[in-house]
Amino acid sequence: MSSTAHTANIPTPFRLLLRIHLLQMRRKFRSARDQSSLLVGALIVFLTGYTILASGLFYRALHFAGRFPGLGEMLIERMIYLLFSFLFLLLLFSNIVIGYTNLFRNKETAFLITLPISAQDIFRWKFLESALLASWAFLLLIAPLLGAYGLEQNAPWHFYLLGPVLIALFIVLPAVFGCWVAITIARHLDRRLFQLLTVLVVLLTFIGLSAYWKPQVLDEENLETRVISVLDRLLTKTRFSQFPFLPSYWLSSGVLHWVEGALSAAVFFVLVLLSNVGFFGLLAFTKTGRFFYSALSATHSRSHVLGQWEWFRNWTALRRQFHYRAGAMEYLLRLVPRLEPDTRALLLKDMRVFWRDTAQWGQTLVLFALIGVYISNLRYFTQQLANPFWVHLISYMNLAACSLNLATLTTRFVFPQFSLEGKRLWIVGLAPLGLVRVVKAKLLLSITASLIVTLPLIWISCDMLKLPLAQKFYFAGAIIVMTFTLNTLAIGLGALYPNMKEDQPSKIVSGFGGTFCLVLSFLYIVASVLLLSFGSPWGGMDFLTPNFKVLGWIGFAVLSVALGWLPYRWGLHRVATFEH
Amino acid sequence: MIELKNLVKRFGDLVAVNDISLTVGRGEFFAVLGPNAAGKTTTIKILTALIKPTSGTAHICGFDVQQQPLEVRRRLAYVPDFPFLYDKLTPWEFLRFTGQIFRMDEEAIQRSTRELIPRFNLEPYLRQPIEGLSHGTRQRVAIVSALMHAPEVFILDEPMVGLDPHHTRVVKDVLKERSLQGMTVFLSTHQLSIAEEMADRIGIIHHGRLIAVGTRDELRRQSGSDGALEKSFLALTAQEANFVEEKSALKDREPEITIA
Repeated sequence: MSSTAHTANIPTPFRLLLRIHLLQMRRKFRSARDQSSLLVGALIVFLTGYTILASGLFYRALHFAGRFPGLGEMLIERMIYLLFSFLFLLLLFSNIVIGYTNLFRNKETAFLITLPISAQDIFRWKFLESALLASWAFLLLIAPLLGAYGLEQNAPWHFYLLGPVLIALFIVLPAVFGCWVAITIARHLDRRLFQLLTVLVVLLTFIGLSAYWKPQVLDEENLETRVISVLDRLLTKTRFSQFPFLPSYWLSSGVLHWVEGALSAAVFFVLVLLSNVGFFGLLAFTKTGRFFYSALSATHSRSHVLGQWEWFRNWTALRRQFHYRAGAMEYLLRLVPRLEPDTRALLLKDMRVFWRDTAQWGQTLVLFALIGVYISNLRYFTQQLANPFWVHLISYMNLAACSLNLATLTTRFVFPQFSLEGKRLWIVGLAPLGLVRVVKAKLLLSITASLIVTLPLIWISCDMLKLPLAQKFYFAGAIIVMTFTLNTLAIGLGALYPNMKEDQPSKIVSGFGGTFCLVLSFLYIVASVLLLSFGSPWGGMDFLTPNFKVLGWIGFAVLSVALGWLPYRWGLHRVATFEH
Repeated sequence: MIELKNLVKRFGDLVAVNDISLTVGRGEFFAVLGPNAAGKTTTIKILTALIKPTSGTAHICGFDVQQQPLEVRRRLAYVPDFPFLYDKLTPWEFLRFTGQIFRMDEEAIQRSTRELIPRFNLEPYLRQPIEGLSHGTRQRVAIVSALMHAPEVFILDEPMVGLDPHHTRVVKDVLKERSLQGMTVFLSTHQLSIAEEMADRIGIIHHGRLIAVGTRDELRRQSGSDGALEKSFLALTAQEANFVEEKSALKDREPEITIA
């Protein structure tokens, strides 16, 4: 077909893939900038604000720890080792999840495998892509810390040049290990022995970690007089982070020695890191492709991961026998009084879609599980919780954390609801139900679902803080109003700025409307928490007059109506006159 | 050109492809028909080396699909019903990318695109991002990208979905021309009229088994029906369904034998 001399000038498949992906990325940034300057502005403000705030906080934390008599340097050192070892685990986990999705559940991989590109080349490209996708947040986390550490320790100028090189080397190792784990999972996931061993390992790890890091409540006497003994226990429990075969140990040691000026020791650790990156990187780049193809084929050949179990096969056989009955969820919804059948059908559809989309409820679960863990751990801070100042502060922080979580979810899931109906307008839009009732039903569902989570969370957090009943009701009232407002704001803006072309909720959210919703929700929460703390009848703001406190409540009420009710009314008006 | 020998693919208990043996010659236009979930797409996935067969072999142009996948892919083109395209690229950039992936030099890319792009009426769209194109236009881009390197074997899975009558005609004409020039076409479709009009031979897959192969007239004879292909298809698949039901009923009635 063509001469060898000509084809020799054609870039390799890997370089071709790199080139088109860079081109795609440039266009994505450009189209984001053209579509929504608010989004770009919000991102720049967030990134700048985050960098400044994080650097400042890290600097102050390091400075504070460094002043500890006799043990300051040691504490800082341990903190650095500990932080990098946890970040290594975080990166490993992130690489496993992203590596699996990107290697085996990706349309591009299925497309590339039909082209004359070797499995090794495809793996090479996907490995690089997964590593970058899994690690960019790590870079964002670590840059302010390293900067603050360098400033606090008066590091030489070349430390700031070395830092990025070390980080770039460091992220390769969890990426390689993560991809290997992902390939192993993909190849063997449906094997019963593999599943049993995995469950066993996870259980044992969980039990082991729970036992090792069991919280130890300290009384006042210990805190006042036995500080060294307490610190000793703390240092013993965190000694694992200095295990010499951990890649995070090589990175931390390199950083610490470089700052101290012990350059030969620092270079030694950098070389250890470099040689490991070279060895494992080479294995990934030259040898892993052959396993990748088998794993890809296994993933596409799998009917169900539990298909090897007799009980599962019997269960699926039972499910195949259809009985023409309504589902359990429908029976439950029938119990709700005054719910019209068409509204019930719509709610049922939304609930089923949400439940069956693992990615959606998975994110929700992770967000609220984290806040749940935080709240349940409040019981260990017995000493601090005896002080009214801390109790007051933490109670408002809890309100803010809970509502910020909720704002993330309302923007991510409630805002795109109306747009998502765009593709289904042939049925929902043309049904006698009418679009206005569709929007109202969605609001009812989102508020109910939000309250099921937020109200108990706030109540439990108040209970942990041992607040009196009146104060519990105060916070419960506040979260109810905020839940209503955040949901109506998201539904209202979703109707005002719909995007009927997209199927993906994440893409709908990333436009102007979604960003606007997130920014407004965030501002509303900050303002509301401040106004409520001004208006608080319990402690903290004793210097404020009662009139000023009433103003705080009025301000909160006005803000809630302005940001909740008004966008909702405008949204409903838009929907009533919507042309589709 | 395409040779399948005792091909089997199992997904757990389900046998998606059940002992299929088939040979499709050079320049032959072969159409595969079958009800939904019959095993057509699984067979295609094995042919394109996306999945490994449980047993049996598949050869394309004399190369084993599993053992020599790169040799196979150099000679193969594949267009699924919903092809993957890079959304932020323009059709022109995408066509150049696929040309280069198939190691075509600049001259070959120019020659090929100058022939195919006007034929598929893609000129007005060449500089627009693919994300803004209609499904039919995307499908045409995918077909052109597949034909650029003059494949020896062209596998298509429902390629006419979303195409207007004019472009359906263009695709049919180009496929027929290339087939006459020696390109083997393996087309999976539900549109019986296309198979009837275009195919040299037709295969019917049902419950993972290749239940009938032959020309239109041969299928008519096998089915015992007369007239359009639709009648033959319905008769053959109904016969197969009855056969499977009877087999299953007989199995249920088999006495249990216990050896003491």
